Amino acid sequence: MAVLGGDFEIGGGRRQVVLAGVFVLAGIAIATLGEATQQRIAGMLRGSVLRPFVAMQEGLAQQRTRAGSVDQLRVRVDSLAAIVTTQSVLVEENETLRRLLTLSERLGPDFRSATALRPGTSGSESIFLLDVGTDDGVHVGAPIISPEGLVGKVQDAGASSSVGIDWTHPDFRASAMIPGADVYGIVENRRGAFREEDRLVLTGTAYNEVVLDGSDVVTSGLGGVYPRGIPIGTIDGVADSQGTWRKSYWLRPRVLPGSITHVLVAAAGAGGDAMSWPDDEDGGLEPDAVRDSSGSGPDGNGS
Amino acid sequence: MVSLTFVVIAGLASLHFLLHVGFGLGRGAPDLLTIGLLLAAREMRIGWSAGLGFGFGILEDALSVLAFGANALTMSLVGMAGAATRELFVGDSWLFVVSYFFFGKWLRDFVHWVLMGEELRRPFTEQVLLQGLTGAAYAALAGVVVLVVTGFSSES
Repeated sequence: MAVLGGDFEIGGGRRQVVLAGVFVLAGIAIATLGEATQQRIAGMLRGSVLRPFVAMQEGLAQQRTRAGSVDQLRVRVDSLAAIVTTQSVLVEENETLRRLLTLSERLGPDFRSATALRPGTSGSESIFLLDVGTDDGVHVGAPIISPEGLVGKVQDAGASSSVGIDWTHPDFRASAMIPGADVYGIVENRRGAFREEDRLVLTGTAYNEVVLDGSDVVTSGLGGVYPRGIPIGTIDGVADSQGTWRKSYWLRPRVLPGSITHVLVAAAGAGGDAMSWPDDEDGGLEPDAVRDSSGSGPDGNGS
Repeated sequence: MVSLTFVVIAGLASLHFLLHVGFGLGRGAPDLLTIGLLLAAREMRIGWSAGLGFGFGILEDALSVLAFGANALTMSLVGMAGAATRELFVGDSWLFVVSYFFFGKWLRDFVHWVLMGEELRRPFTEQVLLQGLTGAAYAALAGVVVLVVTGFSSES
């Protein structure tokens, strides 16, 4: 086994030890750099040395998407067509009412479709790469959604690619509500003993509010990060209660991060409302459930 | 011989990123980067071995925004440790080879877990004991396969 026991110079001298120390110090130095500098270095490496590998996964993901079931896509298109058709009257009515009240036009978020790529290396479990960047109008903090609901947000945006985090990331937070029940809170990640046990929890809800298991939880739009009305999950029991004034609830997430391959990223105007969520056969939210707290209707425009 | 070793190491690094990033296999693929570093560490001096570890580590860090620098520092230390083992062991047996890859990979996972920081790391039982030990066994097996395939094992 020459490789594991062949010719070598034992030790290597003081110069080698100093050189090793320099590399260890360099490792410590880059770990303590500012986040912006770290992201710049990471972006440069992703755009150069690692570009062929990232491009290859992009190509494979696109091939998989193209090979998807045509029937499933047709069902989704039909569902969306039905929603658009039934909403056209409401949109027109909404515009008329806004004009009568002399309110300006309400802008919703503008989404870009993107392919989500998992790096699959150590320490990258909660992140994914996106093939859209600032050139496409994507910015840091932009919400990322899938047909099932909220996936996460953009953590770092480069010119043509960006890095997103999903809800299993410890930094994930979303202002949320239960439509129709007037219950508001914050959805955050609660880590389990194993990664498969990671769960979402709705915290900060009033103790005396009655929340039924199976109730849909959607983004509330408060804070301006996520548009209102994006499904996050469904209530799955009480997690804990603090005294007699606050309760937390477990959520069953709508989006399983491991299954994400194709997402939509908000390009501009992240505030406002998500339009009615498609009622697809994969368990999409019922249109009636996407309703703001004032009960404005299934279009969720809230005006 | 040395140049062939480095061709193999460059090939292992490329294959690592091809499997992990290109094909998106994640833990389904062995950690060929660590195997390559451990192989190189037996051929290189301690300083260059740490440098190679730093280079490999920063490439992995580029794909992780969670703890940037943790992989670079970890791999530098593993490279140093690998080169330092030459002073302690002159391995020629399969037992040594398997142990070297196994403990090298496990050490890499353990040090990375420590450096990731309390907020980001998974519980010790999951990441270091369960995933760490299975990953180390997988890497040891892959390392042996690499030695057999490349013919290094028959050159003793």
